[in-house]
Amino acid sequence: MRGPRLLFVTGKGGVGKTTVAAALGQHAAEHRQRTLIVETATDGRLAHVFGHRALAATPRRLRAGLDAVRVDARELVEEYFSRLLRFQLLSKRLLASNAFNALTAAAPGITEFLLLEKLLSWIEPGLGRRRGYELVIVDGPGTGHALKLLRTPRALATMVPGGPLGKTARRLLALLGDHSRTRVLLVSLPEDMSVRETIETQQALEGDLALHVTRPVINRVFPRHFSTTEALLIEQDGDRNGTPVPPLLAAARFAIACRREAERHVGHLRRALGVSPIILRQLFTPDVHAADLETFGRTLGRAALEYEAASGTSRTHPSTSSGQAQHDSRP
Amino acid sequence: MASIEGLFRKHLVICVGAGGVGKTTTAAALALAGALHARRTAVITVDPARRLKDALGLDGLSTQPHSVAVDSSAHFDALALDTKRTFDALIERFAPSPAVSTRILANRLYQELSNELAGSAEYMAMEKLHELLHLRRYQVLIVDTPPSAHARDLLAAPSRLANLSASRAVSFLQTPAGLVGGSTSTVARLALSALLKALQRWTGFDLLHDLADFAAAFEHMIEGFRTRAEEVNRLLRAPSTAFVLVTTPEPHTIETAISFHRELLDGGFPVAGIVANRVLAFPRLDETEAGAATWDARLRAKLLRNYGELHQLSRRDRRALRRLQAETGAPLLAAVPAMSAAPTSLAGLERFARLLVSI
Repeated sequence: MRGPRLLFVTGKGGVGKTTVAAALGQHAAEHRQRTLIVETATDGRLAHVFGHRALAATPRRLRAGLDAVRVDARELVEEYFSRLLRFQLLSKRLLASNAFNALTAAAPGITEFLLLEKLLSWIEPGLGRRRGYELVIVDGPGTGHALKLLRTPRALATMVPGGPLGKTARRLLALLGDHSRTRVLLVSLPEDMSVRETIETQQALEGDLALHVTRPVINRVFPRHFSTTEALLIEQDGDRNGTPVPPLLAAARFAIACRREAERHVGHLRRALGVSPIILRQLFTPDVHAADLETFGRTLGRAALEYEAASGTSRTHPSTSSGQAQHDSRP
Repeated sequence: MASIEGLFRKHLVICVGAGGVGKTTTAAALALAGALHARRTAVITVDPARRLKDALGLDGLSTQPHSVAVDSSAHFDALALDTKRTFDALIERFAPSPAVSTRILANRLYQELSNELAGSAEYMAMEKLHELLHLRRYQVLIVDTPPSAHARDLLAAPSRLANLSASRAVSFLQTPAGLVGGSTSTVARLALSALLKALQRWTGFDLLHDLADFAAAFEHMIEGFRTRAEEVNRLLRAPSTAFVLVTTPEPHTIETAISFHRELLDGGFPVAGIVANRVLAFPRLDETEAGAATWDARLRAKLLRNYGELHQLSRRDRRALRRLQAETGAPLLAAVPAMSAAPTSLAGLERFARLLVSI
């Protein structure tokens, strides 16, 4: 199976990163990829989407072929220094101190590095360890922090050229810079601020960092219910003799205006980035249903994972597809 | 008792909330409404969208107040904060000599800190506010705030830098053993030296040197920061100050508003209430309303379906706002109905203001 090994899903808060990561994870698992979703937020929404209560600090199975894990920056730092210090009791007191917090907060890139190192261990586990995942999807963090995260290996490789640390930094640099293995997916909403941020982030990631960024996702796009003629009718009617607009018409006008606004933003993204955004529609239910997740997964999978061609290959040559034996049968 | 008009009897109104909830628009609309209520009003916006900026007549870097005329008799002042600015200007102002300021500006740790740890955007917002209030030119000052995940990022900004050099991080460098509660055992010293080595290896040997250097250089100007921070802190808790929680009915922004509210209360900051933006209000239709139109069957079915979808979203919004009120106990000052796009002209902003406040 081709397709990336590591996929970062990023965008500002509330744009639907978790839904996108969940849909992609489920889609990949259905294509027999041993998949792990890494949640960097602490809101527990990812587990909720799959009907689980919470995620743990070690990977836990959500469904066949799909695991999920929660990473917390503070836990990563604590784990790292406990490993170095070895004295449990002492390290606990040390880690609880303000001075330690101030130092680790000031040490540039320490939490970012530890998160990336963790991701690496899930993709390329060392000798004698369990098999790695074929696809690791990182849900979050927000755009600003994601940029910082993805810049870290380069900064570190320059700062610490030698030693085990420098070696890990170079391995990370190779992983992130490999366009066939690592991709970044930006999620935005059809709103000015969100679209602007997406354009800036995509340019920074592709330009400065030379990363592979997929087509951006634009989420919560209103459906186009009415034809142009109908829209015209709806917008002209009801304004006679100052009577209030009937609710059905007011609702229709609102939906038409939202759709237009969304199309304007899609156009803006397309012109600015030179690619067509992946469009996900507005859902009208309080929770994301399994069927919606599946539809989203197909749309996203085609664009971000390029599974259509790849899954065809694996069907004709099952022996070339890795990791099949470990999998439960497809649903 | 709690009305949104009550805000115009305050001197300082601070709009807080998650990014993208319409804080900037709300702040600008409140200033416009304040002007129509015949108050001398100014608004500090942070990073406004281009079109709102144009509507307010703010060009690229107008960090000085700029008058916006609503009509022939009402006007308010607006200024934009450039969030990309760092502490550099401040360092230059407080540093005892150009040599010290150059040393600080070139310090790697300073560069990291000014971007991340100290939250420069938040600091600048607080700094500007202090400056404007001292001019005593305005009766009401409306403040838009940078998008922060937590109220503490914003509210602690003035103190954070002042605390830094005094923080135990620095004394730790001089007497590392003090860190573990006065323990001077060999084991403790060994563990600490391992930790220091790890940190040194981590940062390519420079971090500790940088930190010490930074602290030493910074010591000279700490007094200026500290005085300023204390004044701003007092101001933020004054009875003439009101915090407004701005939110949308999205689950994500509601959660942010709830945690903001908790942090504000814990910190002793006065919260006036909630402004909810982009609220959908399409109630259940009764038969006569639904049947009133004379559309052909096909279009009528589409209209009904569309209404049904928006009704679903409206119910979700209502539930979310009920939850927010139940969790915070704060009054809902206004619920602004959803519009398909943010205001892009002064007339649009005035329409928004009229939905927010009775004028």
